[in-house]
Amino acid sequence: MRKLELEPKTYDDKFTTLTNGINVKVRNSILNHIEKSSSVLELGCGTGVLAKKIALQGPDVVAIDSNFKMINYAMQNYPSEENVKLIYQIGTVIDFPVEDQSKDYIVSTFLLSELRPLEQQIFLRKAWKALKTDGRLLIAAEFIPSGFWKSVFKIKRWWFKKKLKRLTLKETHLNKWFFKYLEPIGFKTLSKESWKHGSIQLLELQKFSIDGKKEPGYYRPKFRMYKGIKSQIRILRCLLTGQVDHVAIEPGIYESGKPDENSPVLVTANYDYTFIKLMQDIKGIDAWVLCIDSRGINVWCAARGEDFGNKQLLEAVAATGLQNYTNKKTLILPQLSAGGVSVPQLPKKKESFPYNILYGPVWSKDLPDFLEKRPTKKPNHMKIAKFSLSHRIRAGLTHTTFIFRKIFVYPILFLFFFLLAMNWSNQLWWIGEFIFIVIIVNAIISLGFPLSNFTRSFIKKGIFFSILNLVVLGALNWILHYSVIYLLWNSIFYIWLSFFLTMSFSGYTMETNPREIQEEYGLFSKINLILLILSILSISLGIIFNLI
Amino acid sequence: MTDTNNSCCTSPNLGGIFSTLDIRILIDETKCTGCGQCGEICPFGLPQPLNKGKFQITEPNRCIECSACQRNCVEHAIIMREQKGCGCLWDTRRRLKRPNYKEKCC
Repeated sequence: MRKLELEPKTYDDKFTTLTNGINVKVRNSILNHIEKSSSVLELGCGTGVLAKKIALQGPDVVAIDSNFKMINYAMQNYPSEENVKLIYQIGTVIDFPVEDQSKDYIVSTFLLSELRPLEQQIFLRKAWKALKTDGRLLIAAEFIPSGFWKSVFKIKRWWFKKKLKRLTLKETHLNKWFFKYLEPIGFKTLSKESWKHGSIQLLELQKFSIDGKKEPGYYRPKFRMYKGIKSQIRILRCLLTGQVDHVAIEPGIYESGKPDENSPVLVTANYDYTFIKLMQDIKGIDAWVLCIDSRGINVWCAARGEDFGNKQLLEAVAATGLQNYTNKKTLILPQLSAGGVSVPQLPKKKESFPYNILYGPVWSKDLPDFLEKRPTKKPNHMKIAKFSLSHRIRAGLTHTTFIFRKIFVYPILFLFFFLLAMNWSNQLWWIGEFIFIVIIVNAIISLGFPLSNFTRSFIKKGIFFSILNLVVLGALNWILHYSVIYLLWNSIFYIWLSFFLTMSFSGYTMETNPREIQEEYGLFSKINLILLILSILSISLGIIFNLI
Repeated sequence: MTDTNNSCCTSPNLGGIFSTLDIRILIDETKCTGCGQCGEICPFGLPQPLNKGKFQITEPNRCIECSACQRNCVEHAIIMREQKGCGCLWDTRRRLKRPNYKEKCC
């Protein structure tokens, strides 16, 4: 849908095609719900097709969109009938200029999936405030269907995501948690219409007041396990899949122990592994844990990308109503989020963001000590990110599983079917040995990484590890096979593998400078290609030799 | 220079020098108040109070240009250009192919 928004003129027709005409049915259904004399707000009106139709039926309509081109187009197609009450405005769905308690209906179609979870919560709360008592919110959006069609949907979505990556467009979000937000904030579902097996739904929600209060409620995610076997499995799921997937938990406020209004407030990313480690490390300590929405990415990567910054912090504080849980005015952030969060740029006015930021230790295991001693200047072990052995082990494991998943699974499968096709099933041990060698090389590079600290150049490190691995693997090879020819046949392969894997490992050490890697990349590619071609030639020769 | 501050352009003495020499990172001693926040934030502890209480970057070749110190310096005393990305091979390859590519590797 985002690509279509660039062209207002063709938007409507293309969108109708995209939804197989369902958006027209959705519009008609919405028109049926709205009473003739009422005050209506449409958020994300686009070209104003629906806003116009509603206004022509009688109601007062204010239509808001954040896209200037769309509003412009809508104004050019303003209805010519008399007594039409229709105003267009620029605004976003989480920041619109509307008075409290002024609207009978708020309408929003196909906008929800553009919003991330916390944005959806902010939207619902703002909509609640803008509605009159018993006002209604009409939302049409895409949801995940249930049952059999869920699998079809997921497959289609996986395919669609791959296409999006090639087109470099941002993907829209699945509204899987949306329904959980409704009741806590103050909406009850009056009616629901669905199309396409539930993948498109129109919800009619009515505002209700929680305990007679004049404010909407806040949503809080349920308690999430971080102890026991299942949590260990979740950690392994991250480590053993190369930590490629964004495993997101619900952003929001969680509790460690039994915190009260004077307990410290810790902030972290919503990556499952990060969350589990943090909660385990602060076990026994009463604290509030605010998980910002970093799209399921860990703190370091999120901060170096754009997923853990001021925007995410402000949005989390606004959406969760943090001030209702704590009197504390300090948020303790992980030190590694400093690459994304900019304290001087946070709002100065204390009404919008009444908190000070304190950067805690680098690793969560130092938190209990930090919280107890509250040093003004942290000791070195709390603030320096050393690439210690335990971190190297984890990095090595992640890198190994990553490289198998991303690259080596293909040649392994190819080799497997090739050997079967050539009727050489007694040579299947080649595959075993290949896997074994990749693991050994990765182990040597990750565990022995400090040995290469004499240089910052990854090409030089690659050469160093190539030599080191050649010696170790050569010795292993000799022990296993006792054959000079076999050794020679594999040598180039060991050299290429070590060189390539060293460079690939660069992202797993935190000490790597992206610019240095970019500068090395040209020369690296050339050397890599030469070594790879030589390895393939050498191995092919060996296979042919085996034939004879 | 990042979006957060353009001290390398506004600083009269250092702006010109920065662009001609290949200095990775520098602390403007005329602005540094010695608060030490940069030292508390740098994951490698590079800023040290060597200059009469004011901070300087030791071992600038170890700086990975993550911009943590620059973004959090209240006085905007740190001059550097942020490098985005984690320095991994795949991210580098993607950025070199398409410099405006917003998607990250991890």
